[in-house]
Amino acid sequence: MTTTETPRIVPPVSANPELQALATQFLALEARLLDEGREEEWYGLLDDELLYTVPIRQAAEPRSQEIDRNAFRVRDTKAHVRTRLDRLNTDHAYSEIPPSRTLRIVGSVEVEEIDRPDVIKVSSALLVYRQRGIDPHFDLIPCRRYDQLRLTPSGPRLLSREIVLTETALATPNLGVFL
Amino acid sequence: MTAISPETADAAAILDRVEASLKNDLVPVEIFNDEAVFRAEIEQIFTKCWVFVAHESEIPKPGDFVQRRIGLDPVIVTRDGKGGINVLSNYCRHRGTQVCQTDAGNSRFFKCPYHGWTYSNNGDLVGTPHMHDAYGERLDPKAWGLIRAPRVATRQGFVFASLDPDGPSLDEYLGGAGWMLDLIVGLAPGGMRVAGPPERYRLRADWKTAAENFAGDGYHVDTLHWSVEEVAVAQGMQATCEIARIYEFENGHAFAGHAWTKAIHPGYVLWGYAPEITQHFDLSGLDEAQLHVVNHEPPSVGTIFPNLSFIRLNTPSVPGGPMSVITSFRQWQPIGPGEIELWNWQFVWDFMSEDEARDSYVNGQFTFGSAGIFEQDDTVAWEGAPRAARSPWMRKAGMEFHLQQGNNSQVDQSHDPSWTGPGRKRNTGYGEHAQLHFYRHWLNVMRGNTGAGTEGAESA
Ligand code: FES
Ligand SMILES: [Fe+2]
Repeated sequence: MTTTETPRIVPPVSANPELQALATQFLALEARLLDEGREEEWYGLLDDELLYTVPIRQAAEPRSQEIDRNAFRVRDTKAHVRTRLDRLNTDHAYSEIPPSRTLRIVGSVEVEEIDRPDVIKVSSALLVYRQRGIDPHFDLIPCRRYDQLRLTPSGPRLLSREIVLTETALATPNLGVFL
Repeated sequence: MTAISPETADAAAILDRVEASLKNDLVPVEIFNDEAVFRAEIEQIFTKCWVFVAHESEIPKPGDFVQRRIGLDPVIVTRDGKGGINVLSNYCRHRGTQVCQTDAGNSRFFKCPYHGWTYSNNGDLVGTPHMHDAYGERLDPKAWGLIRAPRVATRQGFVFASLDPDGPSLDEYLGGAGWMLDLIVGLAPGGMRVAGPPERYRLRADWKTAAENFAGDGYHVDTLHWSVEEVAVAQGMQATCEIARIYEFENGHAFAGHAWTKAIHPGYVLWGYAPEITQHFDLSGLDEAQLHVVNHEPPSVGTIFPNLSFIRLNTPSVPGGPMSVITSFRQWQPIGPGEIELWNWQFVWDFMSEDEARDSYVNGQFTFGSAGIFEQDDTVAWEGAPRAARSPWMRKAGMEFHLQQGNNSQVDQSHDPSWTGPGRKRNTGYGEHAQLHFYRHWLNVMRGNTGAGTEGAESA
């Protein structure tokens, strides 16, 4: 098991308000594209080196052992994401036909500059409301995301995303939606 | 049939209907979401059958423990200081408070948070606060220890517990399924280990639906999972049933394999494992029938009754990527009528390097896991049965599920007369025989017939 890295205390407002605005806008755009079923446009925001992971969380003591960073629900490269999108586009990915109606609420965005001038770290809270097919109920997927964005001339690109689910057992039947 | 307790009284009438339906290869809808049936399942099945609780590789060191479930009951599976494995109920003997609040960890003791009774990781009561004033003397550590599963046994590192002090041994209970487990995970010294802790996801599905699917439902593959073929992560799905081999064993276990050497090419032995993997294999311990199975008709899926299933497939993680064989074991944990938690473990070979193990792990999750491109669709297809089962209309209409697939089919579904392994083998996936086998055994056990050798009344 890997322990959580000691969280660095970042100021509530980024030292660089421009970067803060850029990151917040990026996360909002991403969330809206996914909510609006515009996955291909969202795909355009992914860096070629993307690493998208959902580690496994268990109830553990001490708390630093809850997240096992060597254990994965998902560990996707961009090629994996491409395959997922292609599958969704076949019209036979039955769990997502019709696509889940989602609302992604992104908040608590914090930006941290690192020693690479073209990359920033962004952490955010995400709550996904998901109503699937003709379900009479909805599911909620709460998580925290630890991202790295690459700043390119054509705008920020998602370089890495680690999704730490709030729950140990998912209350939704699958992760057929992107977080 | 043994006596039906008050809790199972309502279930008895339903079981009569199941018996009548099964004679016609039908299954009544109400068993998939019913309070009384569910209670009876917990009482008759999960407190009597051998139930999987952990793999030894999850608790390798003294003090290691994982928290698991047997039916609805939380149990702590521990490795004690002497290397022994204990399956302990997670209820304090004083007032029932749960003494362990974590899913996994390492500890010599479990201290109850309520009044502080403290148990050793072998279950013994070893401490009671204010012992002198409160009790005057030491309470007997065994008599007041955590209540233990009466029987614990392992096969290939798979730890099973039985809450029934009597009945067949694990090896007797597993029978042909144990023989199959040996050839699935026992091919290399050291066998297989878990790649990580189980990932858990809640499904509005009944555990039986999942268990019967993995027992050998090849029929759904080229419909429900067709998208995976369309994106070229799978190939030849339309032949799934045609090239399937169904293995049925006593006590409700069933597996489905595929005749790869026939369907693909004669060199496609051992599930299509790459030479880097097979060079570690030692097949010398296998009997003749096992050798035939691993080389020519190896199991792809299977269910060990009641709720442990397995899948192994050869798949590229992305189209055009290198093929790799993944192995997942999964447990359908009943949490209420028509509701389960799916617990999914990827398994890797013990000899694998860290990188090889991670690649196999990730590939397994990409196909069979909460975000798996196969599994996503299963998780929701299974939601229909419990909804129908709860419907007053469907119940009034006497809805039954159709398992008569083989009745008029011209495909030869008879038992292979040349089969020398345990149980029975059929050389087609058509006929829903693995599922019928599962439900017939389910009925037997619900009626209190848990011993081996009760399958005589089952299908020909
Ligand atoms: S309930 Fe555990 S010590 Fe009282
Ligand atoms: Fe399936």
